[in-house]
Amino acid sequence: MKKMLLAIALGILTASGTALAHHGGNLYDTTKTVELKGTITKFEWGTPHNQIYFDVKTDKGEVQHWVGSTEPAGVMLERGWTRKSLAPGDMVTVYIFAAKNGATVGNVQKVVKADGTILTA
Amino acid sequence: MKRLLSAIGLAAALSLPAVAQNPAVTLPDPESIRPPMDVSTLKNYLPIGRPKDLKPSAVPDLSGDWAADNKRGGFGQSLSGADPGGRMRGKEPDIKYLPWALQRTLAENPPSGPDAKYELTTDPQMHYCEPHGVGRIYMHPVKVRYVQTPEAVYILHEMGPVFRIVWMQADHPDDPDPQYWGNSIGWYENGDTLVVDSIGYNDRSWLDQVGHPHTEKLHTIERYKRIGTDVLEYDITVDDPGAYAAPWNGHRNFIKSTTGFMRYQWVCSVRDNNAHYQNTTAPGNASGQTTFGK
Repeated sequence: MKKMLLAIALGILTASGTALAHHGGNLYDTTKTVELKGTITKFEWGTPHNQIYFDVKTDKGEVQHWVGSTEPAGVMLERGWTRKSLAPGDMVTVYIFAAKNGATVGNVQKVVKADGTILTA
Repeated sequence: MKRLLSAIGLAAALSLPAVAQNPAVTLPDPESIRPPMDVSTLKNYLPIGRPKDLKPSAVPDLSGDWAADNKRGGFGQSLSGADPGGRMRGKEPDIKYLPWALQRTLAENPPSGPDAKYELTTDPQMHYCEPHGVGRIYMHPVKVRYVQTPEAVYILHEMGPVFRIVWMQADHPDDPDPQYWGNSIGWYENGDTLVVDSIGYNDRSWLDQVGHPHTEKLHTIERYKRIGTDVLEYDITVDDPGAYAAPWNGHRNFIKSTTGFMRYQWVCSVRDNNAHYQNTTAPGNASGQTTFGK
């Protein structure tokens, strides 16, 4: 589980805007950002929120299936995203407010692609 | 009393396994909390319609695409001017609730914000994709455009997408059919402000994201004031004697957006709303109880 680094820094500050407006935010821990390295399996672009599906391999070799959401497509367009920003097979580092109960879902805060591209949610 | 307590305990014990087996729960229906009086007989607090002594005004240019700014509440949660973030739901100093309206507000589960219970939300817009209505339509990060003609101002919302028509030459009908968007007439004042006066609402929509109710007596007065090249101030007065003991006000700011209008249309889909809950929220919902998919 070393790959699941807990980055507490700035969690509350970055949560102030998106988490309050975001559906489901009450079930996520917005006080800390979880950093996950994985591979995109599906990217759904639309409303009410974009959904990012990605797989994360744990230290034990098991694969966790994660789903994270962002604001909807129209908002993410304003933040520089497009429907082609992510594609299956992309290697990414995802920074996410994860579910309080340990489920592999959450609100995506930032995605960093293998080429260094930063997608801020 | 012992028998009563025993009965309650037994009922609770019996109900728990039922919830575990069937996570779909039936919540108290906020819509059953209604005004105890015939609201049609009530008189609004504020004058309705175009002032008789209206002075001629230059027409401000409201062209462009407008998006919510962070000032004056951002897109916010509550229409309360004192509590745009929705942190004082039911205790806002600027809202004088009638008792039923307070009870109804507190019975609602908002889908977002400080009081959010997304998995148990009672939001009719979320569940049924019913229209947001005036006020709440501006509480999303979505753009709006105002098309001004002598006959009417057309308000075009990316959210929906939906449009409103503000009639600039006509008066309100005598007895408008109650509808989600009401009947709107408008005029200009002071050379910088569009005033939109609306009545004829039905009582089905929330005024904002936190569930403030209204009745068919709702009368809104919106003021769109151009205060610079790129800033539009929005003020709304809620005048509803069926739900509140006095008028109250909300505020927002809009700024010019240059990213393009309608690049993405925020269409509401019950199917997509349910899918989002199932995919990204249900696994994090420890109780398993939800109002989605019902």
